[in-house]
Amino acid sequence: MKKNLVQAYKQAPWRTQIQWIGIFLLVLVGVAVVAGVYLMISGRAAATGRRIQSLEAEISALEMEINDLKTQYAQVSSAKSLSERAEALNMTLLDPLKAMYIEVPGYVPPSQPALAPPPTVEDISTPVLLPEFTASLWDWLRLQVFIEPNLSTESTESNDTGLISPAPTEVTP
Amino acid sequence: MRTTNWNRFFIICVLASVIAGVAGIQLIRIQNIEGAKQILADSEAYQGINRMIYPERGSIYDSDGRLLAGNEVVYEVGLDLQAIQQPETVASVASSVLGLDYSRVLGYAQMTPGNGNPYFIVLDGFVSKDKIAQLESIKEDYANRSTKRGEGRPNLLGLVWTANNKRSYPEGTLASNMLGFYSFLDRTDGIGYFGVEEAYDDLMAGEPKQVYSAIDPNLLTSLEEVPPGVTVQLTFNREIQAMTEKKLDEAIEWSGAENGTIIVYNPETGEIIAMATAPRLDPNEYWNYSELFPNPKPFNSAISSTYEPGSVFKVLTMAAGLDSGVVTATTTFNDTGSLNVGGATIYNWNMGGWGEVDMTGCMQHSLNVCLAWLGMELGPDRFYSYMKSFGFDRNTGIDLGGESHWPLKLPGDGLWYEVDLATNSFGQGISVTPIQMVTAIGAIANDGKMMAPHVVKAMVIDGKQYNIDPVVVGTPVSAETAHTLTTMLVNSLENEASNALVEGYSLAGKTGTGEIATPLGYTNSSTNTSFVGWGPADDPEFLVYVWLEKPEISIWGSEVAAPVFSDLVSDLVVLMNIPPDSIRLADKLGTSSIAGTE
Repeated sequence: MKKNLVQAYKQAPWRTQIQWIGIFLLVLVGVAVVAGVYLMISGRAAATGRRIQSLEAEISALEMEINDLKTQYAQVSSAKSLSERAEALNMTLLDPLKAMYIEVPGYVPPSQPALAPPPTVEDISTPVLLPEFTASLWDWLRLQVFIEPNLSTESTESNDTGLISPAPTEVTP
Repeated sequence: MRTTNWNRFFIICVLASVIAGVAGIQLIRIQNIEGAKQILADSEAYQGINRMIYPERGSIYDSDGRLLAGNEVVYEVGLDLQAIQQPETVASVASSVLGLDYSRVLGYAQMTPGNGNPYFIVLDGFVSKDKIAQLESIKEDYANRSTKRGEGRPNLLGLVWTANNKRSYPEGTLASNMLGFYSFLDRTDGIGYFGVEEAYDDLMAGEPKQVYSAIDPNLLTSLEEVPPGVTVQLTFNREIQAMTEKKLDEAIEWSGAENGTIIVYNPETGEIIAMATAPRLDPNEYWNYSELFPNPKPFNSAISSTYEPGSVFKVLTMAAGLDSGVVTATTTFNDTGSLNVGGATIYNWNMGGWGEVDMTGCMQHSLNVCLAWLGMELGPDRFYSYMKSFGFDRNTGIDLGGESHWPLKLPGDGLWYEVDLATNSFGQGISVTPIQMVTAIGAIANDGKMMAPHVVKAMVIDGKQYNIDPVVVGTPVSAETAHTLTTMLVNSLENEASNALVEGYSLAGKTGTGEIATPLGYTNSSTNTSFVGWGPADDPEFLVYVWLEKPEISIWGSEVAAPVFSDLVSDLVVLMNIPPDSIRLADKLGTSSIAGTE
């Protein structure tokens, strides 16, 4: 009786073998999928990296080109060449006593040009690429599971004690 | 049967484990021997490239944002010896386009790289874009050339070029005495010499950075950004500078002077509006420096040349006299034509006496005896204390490389005598630079406040412009003294009907004729002629200092430097948009509104 009972619940050997083969294939497919995804992502990352480098080189070349064009423009519009062109057109410098001064209500003389904005202008810089696009899966998990919960807990604790914790903003001078 | 199989299986497992173990141990051993470490270290050199990136040198602009010094693209052309396939073709093209010696280039191109020979040889570091366009055209032509079967196509493999920045000065010689130059031929260790290029060299050069870029795509990172050097905006306007240089050149030619300097200065802010000297170097060809400026000729005489200024210095003696209360504008002096001080006799410029004159008369007739008397009345302590307040014992600190000054002789120094006080009072026996004079006299034109002279108006750092505020470096005299003296000098010019006057504008000013010290004593056959003037007198917007060295047409400042001042100011008021007094003062009183000129 006891023997019959054990036999009733035991799998047939071929079934056990198929199960093991199935599990093995499942693991194999899993590993292949992970490897494939890894390969695809690292391939794309490498291609993007190369493209970024190429674009950076292009930026550098364009900056050189811009500077070169600025210099060329300055050469053709130099004081000497403009003076020569003015003389060729029979232009002469104004005699201050022959000048006519006219009244223009609301006229504001042009201010001297600035080369760049002043440092007092505050511009809140936003990162071009958010961390979600640059962090690895592990970094993201670590951020979500370990770091951000702690930050939110601290923030809550600070507020509990009546301290003000403003939202962090990056302000460049 | 089962036991036998098990034993066989066990033996195979043991053998396989032993072999695997031995292989593993061997692997670990090989990875840790000295040779392996060396290979590992060597391999790192192939994983990426370490490059030193030199930032783009900061540009220089004038006050209106016009480029005075920038960067242009040039190419470094060289031979990559490993890639050369046709040395003759490469040598032929390189020699014809770049103007190089064919046999020399061929010798390089035929070299076998390694074993002591270089892998890369630079043929020319500064090739223009036009020549590179020619090389590219030839390269393309070779690539498209149809060939017969068995015949090789010509190629320029191994002849390579890379773009680089080169310092460029689009205005040529304009303001080169203020700009200085950058030794761009030395690509890695170039430095700025003289002027702004020297004074701001560190800032404009930026910080070179060692940058690593990986070859392994998985290790690729974004290239580290190397910010450009600081860009500077200067205080002077290009048109006014060009006009001032033109006036100086004309004045030198007209007067036969050996040399000359003109400074146009804003007494209210200390900004240099123009600074012209002669000769001027084209900084694009800075290697001509030693030819143009043989030792000890200074690069910028406005800040480096010291000379005895003569009567223009009387402005400062009179300022000291008025400020200390020793004299007032109406104090009279009986001029007998000579004054004996410490055993030496002081005479007037015409060797005559002018009788009773007030202080305005002393300035108007430029009486040495009167000013020597005033100096003696002040006494050495007060006189030299004022001169120190005016900054004659130090550099002005102008932000240009190469400034110098002559030490002020003071009582107690071995070389100081009592007569020095008398002669210093009218500008002899004391050596000054034009910029010292401008800074000191600028205080008279600016309510007694002496400003720090400077040529940089603003700096652009990381894309932000930082303006440089005017700095008061001292108040040597009171505002009241400054106003009184300005009025005296306006009157003296008008009473004298000076050559310096400009119709329609009230100007204050003083001529100067300085005798030149020689090993045999002072000579009056050749002099330093000067004029300093400012205007509009009620609200000065400019101060002009003219110095012409050893003119031939006349020895007098009133005949040489004064008309140059007048000629320059006539154009300056137009370029600075300063209307004649009648219109300007009417506008100030609210009876008219000036909007511009037509």
